[in-house]
Amino acid sequence: MTAITNRILDRELKKGSAELIILALLEARARHGYEISQIIEQRSNGTVRFKVASLYPLLYRLERRGWIVGQWVEKEGQRRRRYYRLTRAGRKVLAEQRQGWLRFVAAIGRITATEG
Amino acid sequence: MCRVPVRPKVLDVRKATPMCDWKAELKRQLEERRIDPTRHFTVIEELALHLEDRYRSLVARGMSSSEAEQSVLQELEEGEALERELRRAERAAPVSVPILGDHPRPRAMGSWGQDIRYAARALRKSPGFTAVAIITLALGVGANTAIFTIVNAVMLRPFAFADSDRLVRIWESNPERGWPTFSASHPNFLDWRAQAKSVEGLAATTGASFALTSNQGAEIVRGASVSADFLPVLGVSPALGRNFREEEDRPGGNTRLTIVSDRFWHRQFGGDPLILGRTLKLNGTDYAVVGILPASFSWGTNLDLLVPLAPDPARSRGDHRLTVIGRLKPDATVDQAQTELATIAAALGQQFPDSNRGWTVRLATFYDWIVPTEIRDSLLVLMGAVALVLLIACGNVANLLLARGATRQKELSIRTALGAARWRIVRQLLTESLLLAMVSGAAGFAVAAGVTRLLVAYGPESVPRLDEVSFDLNVLGFASIISLAAALLFGLVPAIQISRQRPADALRDAARGSSPGEGRHRLRSVLTVAEVALSVALLIGAGLLLRSFARLQQVDPGFNVAPLMMMRVNLPRSTYTTGAAMAAFYDRLLSDVRSFPGVAGVATSSGVPLAGDSTATEIRLTDRPASTGESLSADWRLVSPGYFAAIGVRLRGRDFDARDRADTPPVTILSESTANRFWPGEDPIGKTVVLRSFGETPHTIIGVAGDVRSYGLDSDPTPIVYGSSMVYGGWNPMSLVWRSAVAPASHVLALHDVVRRIDPSVPLYDIRSLSDLLTDSFGPRRFNMYLLGCFAGVALLLAAIGLFGVMAYLVSQRTREIGVRLALGADRRDIFRLIIGRGLALAVVGALIGVSSAFWLTRVMQSLLFSVSATDPGTFVTVPALLVIVAMIACYIPARRAMKVDPVTALRAE
Repeated sequence: MTAITNRILDRELKKGSAELIILALLEARARHGYEISQIIEQRSNGTVRFKVASLYPLLYRLERRGWIVGQWVEKEGQRRRRYYRLTRAGRKVLAEQRQGWLRFVAAIGRITATEG
Repeated sequence: MCRVPVRPKVLDVRKATPMCDWKAELKRQLEERRIDPTRHFTVIEELALHLEDRYRSLVARGMSSSEAEQSVLQELEEGEALERELRRAERAAPVSVPILGDHPRPRAMGSWGQDIRYAARALRKSPGFTAVAIITLALGVGANTAIFTIVNAVMLRPFAFADSDRLVRIWESNPERGWPTFSASHPNFLDWRAQAKSVEGLAATTGASFALTSNQGAEIVRGASVSADFLPVLGVSPALGRNFREEEDRPGGNTRLTIVSDRFWHRQFGGDPLILGRTLKLNGTDYAVVGILPASFSWGTNLDLLVPLAPDPARSRGDHRLTVIGRLKPDATVDQAQTELATIAAALGQQFPDSNRGWTVRLATFYDWIVPTEIRDSLLVLMGAVALVLLIACGNVANLLLARGATRQKELSIRTALGAARWRIVRQLLTESLLLAMVSGAAGFAVAAGVTRLLVAYGPESVPRLDEVSFDLNVLGFASIISLAAALLFGLVPAIQISRQRPADALRDAARGSSPGEGRHRLRSVLTVAEVALSVALLIGAGLLLRSFARLQQVDPGFNVAPLMMMRVNLPRSTYTTGAAMAAFYDRLLSDVRSFPGVAGVATSSGVPLAGDSTATEIRLTDRPASTGESLSADWRLVSPGYFAAIGVRLRGRDFDARDRADTPPVTILSESTANRFWPGEDPIGKTVVLRSFGETPHTIIGVAGDVRSYGLDSDPTPIVYGSSMVYGGWNPMSLVWRSAVAPASHVLALHDVVRRIDPSVPLYDIRSLSDLLTDSFGPRRFNMYLLGCFAGVALLLAAIGLFGVMAYLVSQRTREIGVRLALGADRRDIFRLIIGRGLALAVVGALIGVSSAFWLTRVMQSLLFSVSATDPGTFVTVPALLVIVAMIACYIPARRAMKVDPVTALRAE
């Protein structure tokens, strides 16, 4: 494992993979903040919930890093929304983080497997 | 309103409204100063949206509005850390404001790069404007670059000879007799060469055509007889082999040698290096090849070979036939050399009064000799004309930019309001102009490449060095410089004008959609007037050339050009040693050709009108004493009987015929102007004249022939004396001219057959129709006329587009005013007249300025005109009238639009 993925793994452990979740949700298409929070809540059956105070700072941080881009979009008959989409850099990071996460889960699985 | 600003009393107030003002709540929580101010609004808005969505979904799930609101607020409060988190997130990367205004400390390259990117984006966003501007400028830059390419090759580039500014052409000159430049005689050349100290060397040359016979048949090759110092004076050495030696350049020396051109070497010998020492059969004599000229060598057109001249001191000093060139010593000037040679010539005049009295010397640099004033004038006029076209193009683009500036005012005002310095805005706008100019410059270069190829292909042969035209660094530099200059020209004024407006006014104006500053409109009007003025000046120039050309074509050449063909015949001197032998050949040829079906007339002549043939003699009267100085220089021609009928010249008296033989008293036919010069109002037939070139025996005049313009329709008929070719045989080459009822060209093959039957070693060449020769003689004028006409047409089109643009813009800006007028009862025709009147006013002012400037400008083209004055009243009236008509057409559409304004719509739009 390279130094970078080591560092990523370390960070994922600490952050509970919040970044990975956001990036993964933006992989298929652009979404706005509220949509993201709704999806997270629905898919986790309410287990994982991002509050305003953690979701938006996280989005802004990802944006600053150039992994996602937010853009105000005005569609007819709809309200103005800020849609976020994945940049090319973000796509690369997502791939790395996904790998790291899978390795992490596998490792945890091996560690915690019932001995017998 | 919800519980703003007091938090503890939430519930009471909340009931009053269905929904809380989330923004206010968020603002309260997030103190502006703690977050980047440029982000503040976005963050607040986005979070408020989220909160509202949350609130709505809770209500949708069945919560009461108050419960929902409380739940949302609770969620917000759970994140006590919102502000802290946000600040941390925002700090994650250095704060950089998107550059709308000025940097406190701009990174030089960075901000330029940004300007360029911004400019590119701005141009891409309005493709219509960009395309029109680029096409307009590319045409302007392209035309300028093309003409400059020609000027560069013809006038600016040095000749292909080493230190060519020291090379001079030297003529004999006889101002008394009106011969400013005349060829030199052999002995005079030798005396100059022996005595002149201001020159490093003098050399002489004269054209010589040879019949080259080989087993492939006979052909004519163009050669030159040159003195041995000819190549050294030019600074040229043979690429292979050697130059002629001095002892080979003397009468009696071994002069049967030749140096061939690179082209001839490849054409005839396939570039075989073993050619040296081999022999060529020229005019039936063997010449040994001693050298090959470098490929870069150029002298006249299509030179094939050089032979030694062997200048002969024993020849007549009055026999002028040499082209003399010289190389000045490094410290000598043309004037010094002129003075020195004139002194030598004066001494010769005293020594040999019979031949040299009245003769002096004239010098000119190669440049003045090869690039005549007329060519320079016309190139400079064309250069000036294209420069005007570019100015007009710049005017149009500036106009476009100003119109565009009006629509971009809001954008620019916001930038100013956000703190952009004025110079920064000007810089941004100039960057756009520069970018436009660069793209147009590149496109213009492509245009120039195409146009130049056309100019070279269709340019007249009389423009020297046209074959040397090519693109070089000069041309590239020129194209770049005019592109940049154009950018400044069309970009600076609009940039300053647009940036001048105060942002507050602009924002207010823009919001109201009312007209921009009156100043800008005035500027656009001034630009339009200037464009109209420039195009009127150009049109007048083109009109003068057009009229000259029309006048020229009405000139009577003096003979019947259309059905005539010519062909030159060169009889090898080794076979045809006597005049009688030659006469016999031509006799047979003429009688054979006469029997061709359809041939209406055929004759031989030593020179054909318009073919550039020139042979001069001095004519003197026999019945008056020589001291009265009654003499005249005239062209002489040796013609066969029937020549005048064949070419369609009227003849009074009788033609030459079989009565005229070598042993009968000599007779001559004079041209009308020659006869009138000596015997105005009298009948010259039966009188006698002395033709110096034919000896001192008086010739009896048997006829008077109509005048012929031998050197083109734009020169007066020259005096001509005719002698009979049956009496004076031996002139070589002769020309055959024939007239035919059927297409004269159809006889060419039959002619070849006839000549081959009589003698296969005789070459035929220069097969031309006389109408082609006539067309060629118009060449330079037609070239000038077409080019200037094209430029003037483009100028007119651009000016009309400019006028149209300004009027259309005016109408769109004044729609409301027009609406008010109509609502108040104005007649629609009055509106139409108002707009047309405004446009015409601009056109008329422009036309007046144009006419008065043309008054001065057209003087420079005086030398290009033919029987039309530079202030020709017809042209000066017609052109402005034409322009006013075009202006009315350009204003028609905007005026129609104005007339059709619907007052209700116009006023409601407000």
